[in-house]
Amino acid sequence: MRNTLLYIAIFLSLPLHGQMSIGTDTIKINEVVISRNKYNSDPAGYKKTTIDSSILVNYSNSNLSDMLSENTDIFIKSYGMGGTATPAFRGTDASQTLIDWNGININSPMLGQSDLSLIPVGLIDDVQIRFGGASMSLNEGGIGGTINLVTKPLWKKETLISINAGTGSFGQYSGLMKVKTGNYKFQTVTKGYFQNSENNFRYLNTEIGSEPVWQTRTNSQVRQQGFIQELYLRNSNNIASARIWYESADRNLPASLLTQPNTGEKQFDESLRTMLNYDAFKGSTDFSFTGAWMMSRLNYFNRLASIDSRNLSETLTLKAGLENPIGEYAKLKIVLDEQSSVIKSNNYAHNTTRNTATMTASIERNRNRFGTTILLREILDKNNLLIPDFSAGVQFRLIDNKTYYLKANISRNSKIPTMNDMFWVPGGNPDLKNEYALIYEISYEMSQKISEPFNLKYDLSVFRYNIKDMIEWHPGEYSYWTADNIQSVNSTGAESSVSLDYMRNKINASLKAGYSYTRAIEGGSNIGNDISVGKQLMYVPENKANASFRVGYNNIYSLWVANFVGKRYITVDNSKYLPGYFINNVSTGIKFTLKSSSFDMNFNIDNLFNINYQSIAYYPLPGRTYFVKILFQIVK
Amino acid sequence: MKNLIRIIVISLMIVSCQKTPELPNSNYTIGGGVFVVNEGNFRSGNGSLSFYSYDSSKIYNDLFYSVNGRPLGDVPNSMAINGDKAYIIVNNSGKIEVMDQSTLKSTATITGLISPRNISFINDNKAYVSSLYSDSVTIINLINNSISGYINIRRSSESIASTGNQAFISNWTGGKEIMVINTIDDQVVDSIEVGIEPESMVFDRYGMLWVLCNGGWARLNYAELVEINTSTNYVEKTLVFPTKEASPTCLKIDGLGTTLYYLDNGVRQIDISSTEIPSITFIIQESGEYFYKIGINPLNNDVFITDAVDFVKQGYLLLYDGTGKFISKLEAGIIPGSMCFKLRINT
Repeated sequence: MRNTLLYIAIFLSLPLHGQMSIGTDTIKINEVVISRNKYNSDPAGYKKTTIDSSILVNYSNSNLSDMLSENTDIFIKSYGMGGTATPAFRGTDASQTLIDWNGININSPMLGQSDLSLIPVGLIDDVQIRFGGASMSLNEGGIGGTINLVTKPLWKKETLISINAGTGSFGQYSGLMKVKTGNYKFQTVTKGYFQNSENNFRYLNTEIGSEPVWQTRTNSQVRQQGFIQELYLRNSNNIASARIWYESADRNLPASLLTQPNTGEKQFDESLRTMLNYDAFKGSTDFSFTGAWMMSRLNYFNRLASIDSRNLSETLTLKAGLENPIGEYAKLKIVLDEQSSVIKSNNYAHNTTRNTATMTASIERNRNRFGTTILLREILDKNNLLIPDFSAGVQFRLIDNKTYYLKANISRNSKIPTMNDMFWVPGGNPDLKNEYALIYEISYEMSQKISEPFNLKYDLSVFRYNIKDMIEWHPGEYSYWTADNIQSVNSTGAESSVSLDYMRNKINASLKAGYSYTRAIEGGSNIGNDISVGKQLMYVPENKANASFRVGYNNIYSLWVANFVGKRYITVDNSKYLPGYFINNVSTGIKFTLKSSSFDMNFNIDNLFNINYQSIAYYPLPGRTYFVKILFQIVK
Repeated sequence: MKNLIRIIVISLMIVSCQKTPELPNSNYTIGGGVFVVNEGNFRSGNGSLSFYSYDSSKIYNDLFYSVNGRPLGDVPNSMAINGDKAYIIVNNSGKIEVMDQSTLKSTATITGLISPRNISFINDNKAYVSSLYSDSVTIINLINNSISGYINIRRSSESIASTGNQAFISNWTGGKEIMVINTIDDQVVDSIEVGIEPESMVFDRYGMLWVLCNGGWARLNYAELVEINTSTNYVEKTLVFPTKEASPTCLKIDGLGTTLYYLDNGVRQIDISSTEIPSITFIIQESGEYFYKIGINPLNNDVFITDAVDFVKQGYLLLYDGTGKFISKLEAGIIPGSMCFKLRINT
């Protein structure tokens, strides 16, 4: 016990380093069997992060943007309730972050990014985060990293039905229903949801007059709905699955505090994603085939400026993987990935297609306490073979049979330009080169049962990114802007997290804390006399920290989530910035279990201290927000 | 108690922090100079106001914020002085800030305009404001700082020039006409067909109206410089630019009203009696510079150029004398755009 206290004292006296939610669940919602999907496994030498399932449950009626910004190191640029939200890893930008669904990229090929405010957490079973080089084993193009959204079956002979309904401040109401059923050979999963919100919150406007005035947010209504249907079949050597994910969102876009109201800005997003997957295990060799067809529509309308922008993209992805052991300790993986996109947009000169083929070969070796990974990738784009990408990782287990790891990796990762960068009229540049980055990362991870009820985890990573040939739009020779590979960025930083779990008798408690530091420095462009060189990038906070404390006693539980984001510069020469903010959310609930059914009632307060803050300048965020929800679940 | 609440409220508000700008001494306004309207990045709300003082040869930045304690707005487009009042037209905020021209203290904010661009003072009571995204010119009552009406011209408007009882309004984006309005009854009385996309206009010393037609961004048409006789509203002369690649903007005239200036890959000069577009460049735009707007000091023909650099970072104000000799380069705000001269009185 004395040792325990000592450990706690040591780790709490560290400046609360770290990013929360690494590792196992404190509260098991469902026992699940993960299907073998070999090319998605975790190679040696890289950091990985999985969001706790208890966190996911708590955010079941929210969108991915809120969950990630409050619980991870990822900074989310959010235009506020109803507005778009895009992720930024380690000082990279949103188009350098991949959002995957079961290992297939779902970013729009036009913008090259995903709007996380349109992805409901309730549909997702697991959220895996891979930073930097770690994303290369999943996909190409994730210079910053990859957020992989996993949906999966139970693989049990039982039926799970859950119904989730909630309502809250500012006209929020939402519902979510899930049915998972089947047996050991066949599984079907159905999920459907809707979310409506008026987002008519009050905020203090200090920007337009000599006296601050209270105003109500207007033109910010959102209605969205969607469903996922999945079918799985397996026998001892094969797994086959078919998945469909439909989403649609209709929303009005709220204006900046400084722009004229009533511009009638609105956006309609619709996506249909389908995926067929077949895994076969033949002897010691594993094969995997995935075919995905995805459609995404984005229509933007601005009444004032008479903009009626209609964009439709269709992407076909074919992916085949093979994994074979070499000798006793090593295995070889080869993945072929072919993507073709067709864009129909009234902003392009004509319907435009693009084909990209990628071959990735990697070897992983694990022997005794050493693990190594070597990955090589070649991209064929527009019939040009590009400079190959690579990644190499090593890991060393400090003590036999204990979870103490030292990891290091070095990578070169590249990203093909977005289709808008190449084909937008006017200014798109079809001759753009790939952006690329050299990425270095060293990390330390430990997990240790301190004494019977206590378990401690800690990790620390240090990273360096040198990003070159970044695409920037700039005024061209004529009076419109054009895209070119002219910018470079050097990003250096560290992330650290600590988590401490306690479980004994009727009490379970979990404390997590994380901190990240990012210096993302403009390396300059070919524009002379550049005052932004050497300055921190706009909207990249140097400091970000989060903490959560969850405690459960019998059938009552409470959760506190605190989130700090440091100042963010809003000009390239760092002359102006938005001040940091510290936001606290609390949540409490009671759960009744009766035979095979359970009933969970939860009350949530976001922004408990009613802080007036902004993530993007002049886009207000809501003050204190209440939300109440009930979750009813039957397992048979 | 009320004060206490106010202090608490103010201390809680979100203010974008910034470097304290160097404030001009209180009597800087006695001297002459030029205001520079920095547009800032679209939707970023970082537009600002700068002033170049002839007395100190210095530029003072971020003046609106330092005087009024709040941002100027999103994409201020132009500024004009009328008597002791100065007006800044803030395009994407849909408003006009009315200020005391010597203290820059805001005295009124006229809101509810649709994408306003430029203002022209018709008389002491009335002004017209052009609009990029509506079919109407807005009439402003200068006495009580309010919108008093609209003139539907059925097309968008950009540049406004008025003389006598007529106002000339250019239909820039996608247009090719100058609409003529009788300023007594605010009625459209005529339209004059010119070249593609008439962007800017000036009067010369003989009262002729010069219109610079940009030719459109896609370079499908030739740009034109058109001279209009304002007593007949007929086109007197049309000078066509030699290539479709030419994309001239920002027509200005010197103090005598005989030499025209515009931007076309550098600053160009043309005499009003000239019969062809000049091939030589008066002030050359160097690599890394982006000449965005020009202003000609009517008293000494000094040429002020705003250099928007890359339209992201802070730009510069470049000063050349009347012979085209470089004098100085000073850091302005983000996307320094149009200028407004404040002339020295009693010198």
